[in-house]
Amino acid sequence: MAKPQSTPVEKAARLLDLVPFISTHQGIALTDLAREFSLTESELLSDLNTLWMCGLPGYTPLELIDLDFESGYVSIRNAEVLQRVRLLTKQELVIILLGLDILANSLDAERSDLLEAISQLISRIKNIVGNVATAMPIVDSSHRAAIGQAIKSRKDLLINYHSTIRDTVTERTITPLEISLDHGFEVLHAYCQSAAGFRTFRLDNMKSVTISTLSVATPKMADLPGFESGFESGFEWDLLISSRFRTSSERFRATYQARESAKAERITVSSFSQDWLLRNAVSTLTSVEVLTPVSARALIAEKCRQSLELYETWAFSK
Amino acid sequence: MSRKTERLVNLTIALLATKRYITKSEIFRTVDGYEGADDSKERMFERDKDDLRNLGIEIEVGTFDPLFEDESGYRIKPENYQFQLGEVDAQEIALLSLAAEAWRGASMAPSALSALNKLHAIGIESDTELLLNFAPAIISQDKNLAVAISAITSKTVLSFSYLSETLQPESRALEAYAVTSRYGHWYIFGNDLDRKALRVFRLDRISGDLKLQGRSGSYEIPLDVDVDSAFAKPSGLLKATLFLRDGRGLNLRSRGVEIKGGRAPLGWQEYELEYRDHERFVEEVLWYGSDVIVSEPLSLRDEIIAHLKSGVVKYG
Repeated sequence: MAKPQSTPVEKAARLLDLVPFISTHQGIALTDLAREFSLTESELLSDLNTLWMCGLPGYTPLELIDLDFESGYVSIRNAEVLQRVRLLTKQELVIILLGLDILANSLDAERSDLLEAISQLISRIKNIVGNVATAMPIVDSSHRAAIGQAIKSRKDLLINYHSTIRDTVTERTITPLEISLDHGFEVLHAYCQSAAGFRTFRLDNMKSVTISTLSVATPKMADLPGFESGFESGFEWDLLISSRFRTSSERFRATYQARESAKAERITVSSFSQDWLLRNAVSTLTSVEVLTPVSARALIAEKCRQSLELYETWAFSK
Repeated sequence: MSRKTERLVNLTIALLATKRYITKSEIFRTVDGYEGADDSKERMFERDKDDLRNLGIEIEVGTFDPLFEDESGYRIKPENYQFQLGEVDAQEIALLSLAAEAWRGASMAPSALSALNKLHAIGIESDTELLLNFAPAIISQDKNLAVAISAITSKTVLSFSYLSETLQPESRALEAYAVTSRYGHWYIFGNDLDRKALRVFRLDRISGDLKLQGRSGSYEIPLDVDVDSAFAKPSGLLKATLFLRDGRGLNLRSRGVEIKGGRAPLGWQEYELEYRDHERFVEEVLWYGSDVIVSEPLSLRDEIIAHLKSGVVKYG
């Protein structure tokens, strides 16, 4: 976890947490202790040197906390007062509550043992902070864990994938490369064996994820021919939005900001999928006009005609 | 810098070790780090109390003898200092740790790390098998989420500028009751002081920063607060019947009910669906192009046809 420079208060909080931790892990190696607290070894040494100066009023050796860490292993004595683990702040309880809710909502009903344990923890936390936070995950956490394990152990994955752009569900064998974020959604960059090319898959559109029993020699991403251009060759369209500014911008995943006038606004949007842009354009016929490319305008007209023809055929006519 | 750190730790130890209230003058005399003129020691002590309070450490104020107006004394009750979830076992530690780990890389990562340190300090090895099979992750880079949670836990009014459908900024003041994550977005729910009604706001539609306004503890969160109710199916939903091409309209299928033995031609199925927002539904049907045809109501069907005709005129 990224850690900014500690303030004196943050450092004090950490010292209060170090004491009970060392007390229950007497003789822990400095390197292990630093890793547990996400510190560098020199940051940890600075912490321990400060802690060494603390204790009960009087501050003679009888009252000071007694730390030993010169050997590279840390032990602590004379710190009974601080041996209790600090309480979780309300802020920490709320974020744990959200994490538990995400976990519970992505577990199978058959894990009733875990669901019961989570529900008890949630109710203990809600007794303290109230019913102030809930979270419905869009990604199954066991899918994410399977992807992580496959990347680590260089295994292929079998996925059942719902392509929202194509409006189809397909089974694919993929070599997972890396998880990242795209417009706030988790995506997996992978080599799709089924399509024989690089593809990006949204984790929330995966219906099932199974680790293949076969190991693969996962190529290094940088060495893969076409990796750089494989994911985001793109289409760029110019649009004129005349109404429903927020919804239309969100639909095309364009960033937006406050505007003073209600005048029509010209924006540029892009995507690796022309089909996705076309669908959005037909969806927003009354609020958005595609200006360029001209070829896209002809495709939109054609899509409208295809639908109209169906409405006029005997099978669908009224 | 380390003097301040030392003083805070020493003050905590002194106040936690005492069984009786200790006075400010005793603190200044015995706790290491309070130096200088009286008023600067006073200021130091006030700041230290605030800092400890922000760490969740409550300093209790009391007097030695309630019948006499003695000088106030201070102490930290052990039960108000220590981990408050009671006894936890290896499985519970694993679950709590997973919940905190879920924030790795997200906007609340520093709080999550601090919670993890405390959980590890309990000294019970967590059930590692659990950690392997599940990897919950919370996706939020929005720094406004931390402010929203802080407003809720401190019960401080929030003020912000919210972007309407026309992207006009609207000033809002909110007594925040809850946060929730749904459909991949974060929402904040509470009492809108201007509209005098419960409202939900999507965090990424807030323009600029959320700001804490006024004092903490300025409102109460109702005991029966139910953020889920804001997302519950409303009554009076609209209904439509659609023809869906074989294997297409997957999201619509998952939300609707198939009408068996209906009037669908070969290669199509007929589905009945409920929807809330008319304009959004029109856009959704159009998104599927010639794979989704509206059967009923006629008004919706005519509206879709009119849109398609306007498309042919505009782009044809």
